Amino acid sequence: MSREKLRQLGIDLPLFPTTSVGSFPKPDYLMKARADFAKKKITGAELEEKARQATEFWIRKQEELGVDVLVDGEMYRGDMVAYFAEHLRGFEEGGLVRSYGNRYYHKPIITGEVRWENPITVDWWKYAQGLTRKPVKGMLTGPYTVMDWSFNEFYPSRRDTCLALAKEIRREVEALIAAGAKIVQIDEPAASVRSEELPVAIEALDVVTDGLPAYFITHICYGAFEYIYPGMLEMPVDNFDLEMSNSGLDMLELFRKDRFTKDISFGVVDVHSHVVEEESVVEQRLRQALDVLPMENIWVDPDCGLKTRSVDEAIAKMQALVKVARALRN
Amino acid sequence: MELILANNSSYPRIGDASEHQLLRKTITQWEKGEKADSDLRAAEDRMTELALAEQIEAGLDIVTDGQIRWYDAISHLAGKLSGVRINGLLRFFDTNTYFRQPVVHAKIERTKALLVEDYLFAQAKSPRPVKPVLTGPVTLARLSIEETKGAGGFERMLEGYTQALAPEVAALAAAGATLIQIDEPALLKYPQDIARARPSLAALTAGKGAAQIALALYFGDPAPIYDELQKLPVDVLCLDFTYNPAFVEVVATRGSSKTLALGLVDGRNTKLEDPKTLARDVEKMARRLAGDRAYLTPSCGFEYLPRDRAQLKLRHLSTIKKEFLGSNA
Repeated sequence: MSREKLRQLGIDLPLFPTTSVGSFPKPDYLMKARADFAKKKITGAELEEKARQATEFWIRKQEELGVDVLVDGEMYRGDMVAYFAEHLRGFEEGGLVRSYGNRYYHKPIITGEVRWENPITVDWWKYAQGLTRKPVKGMLTGPYTVMDWSFNEFYPSRRDTCLALAKEIRREVEALIAAGAKIVQIDEPAASVRSEELPVAIEALDVVTDGLPAYFITHICYGAFEYIYPGMLEMPVDNFDLEMSNSGLDMLELFRKDRFTKDISFGVVDVHSHVVEEESVVEQRLRQALDVLPMENIWVDPDCGLKTRSVDEAIAKMQALVKVARALRN
Repeated sequence: MELILANNSSYPRIGDASEHQLLRKTITQWEKGEKADSDLRAAEDRMTELALAEQIEAGLDIVTDGQIRWYDAISHLAGKLSGVRINGLLRFFDTNTYFRQPVVHAKIERTKALLVEDYLFAQAKSPRPVKPVLTGPVTLARLSIEETKGAGGFERMLEGYTQALAPEVAALAAAGATLIQIDEPALLKYPQDIARARPSLAALTAGKGAAQIALALYFGDPAPIYDELQKLPVDVLCLDFTYNPAFVEVVATRGSSKTLALGLVDGRNTKLEDPKTLARDVEKMARRLAGDRAYLTPSCGFEYLPRDRAQLKLRHLSTIKKEFLGSNA
């Protein structure tokens, strides 16, 4: 069903299409440029030039590795929620809070009505797509996750916040599609943590995608899937991009009990480990997937964004998964 | 009714001011080998002192060390135990923070004190009583995995963590702690564990001496298990009031045979609550609370807030207390 949808959109993919979740590590020159920009040593235009350089690097690298569906690598983003908060009306930047260990981020605060005013990611998508003939995914953070990962001082409830965001994020999806994007990924990593709110996440995603002509993917990770599966299959998307390897492929047991009915981007490498998986390990994981899932529904990718790895580690992990997918394909 | 102002547990380890960046910078340099262990310890000490000072300045009666030295709520304790190694990242309940998952590969054993030194440091720096906080065995066991599946499962890990933490509670009490908090947020997510929590808590409290034991539950609505909680062998129940607006009515109706710590101030959102509303909530419950005293606390640790907002919320506790006392004057 989903392959037919892709064909109708003009995209023909091989078996085990390879992709990545979204983010790649920023090269050192971009990290330095971001630090210099924060200290007002360089201009926004100079920073953007470095981000474009890094985007081109990752597009070329993915082509060189033989990845089938590309991403822009999110070189222009700091954090996946803060970036959108910076570009939507109604948000203020909050102070630093901890993500884990010694990593911190500025958690946004919703202080007014949220409003989309201009395209946020479209120029970056156009730039990345202009560098390659392979499809590049449009990449957004979903309304439930933006709501859950922001403080809210304006809306009366979490649902109200989520639905208000959904209406505005839909406008970004429309803008991406108008620009030519055929595959749009709406990341909802927070959707797996409060099972009682899964209906809200589904309702909001429906507002975002309803009736729009694109192949939709959602990425969910690091949560209690046993509480939201199989209910999460009600999400109006074609493909679930899931972190599988970090949890020892435990989710396959859930899929055995209740059939997985969509396409899956199956995470075959752990993004939080410095160790680059042996190809035999990746192959074993994919073969285990094949025990439970139809071959034509499986895409192959890392568990999550690779931005926390070094450039070399990220390339090596992508190389391993592409090699294995290609070998199995044949 | 006496209203005692207390912190819940954690406090931001960072802030936007340069002095609040000390620990982050030091850890980064320490990881590169540019700073020694003693430098790291000194940075942790300094940030702990700042956390204590901010709590005291805000008027709290009982403070914590802010858990400034903790990598996370799980691996900080589990990683110091024999028989446990620390693995990859997992999301911590419904937060956007992550912990490193313990992997139990052998018998869980406490081979050294875990928190006593940190407690003694904090208490020496604080004119107010410091409440040491431990993550409890149910939560540790729920968020751990066994290296060999079927090696005993949750039950065995729970027993192992209980046996390992019981002497730590005794050691903290012997070191002078008068109120020791055991955090069991897992009980709200896995309410079926209440029956198992009872013997675990009994073992933990066996060596408490004159110290009081507080059980803290957060990240969920305690109403469905409220009656069961009243039967647990602890002195104080610290409860999160932010997930269910009707929970105030539950307490006001059923009362409490245990001293309650009222987690009315939201530790997960920056919005400052209306102090009059919260004072009224306290008032509604006051007549039904045991011992004619209660603690007023944040709903959970404050490390989920930016430092400036955590400071405001700490001060807000005093404002709410004044409102409550004013309306009861």
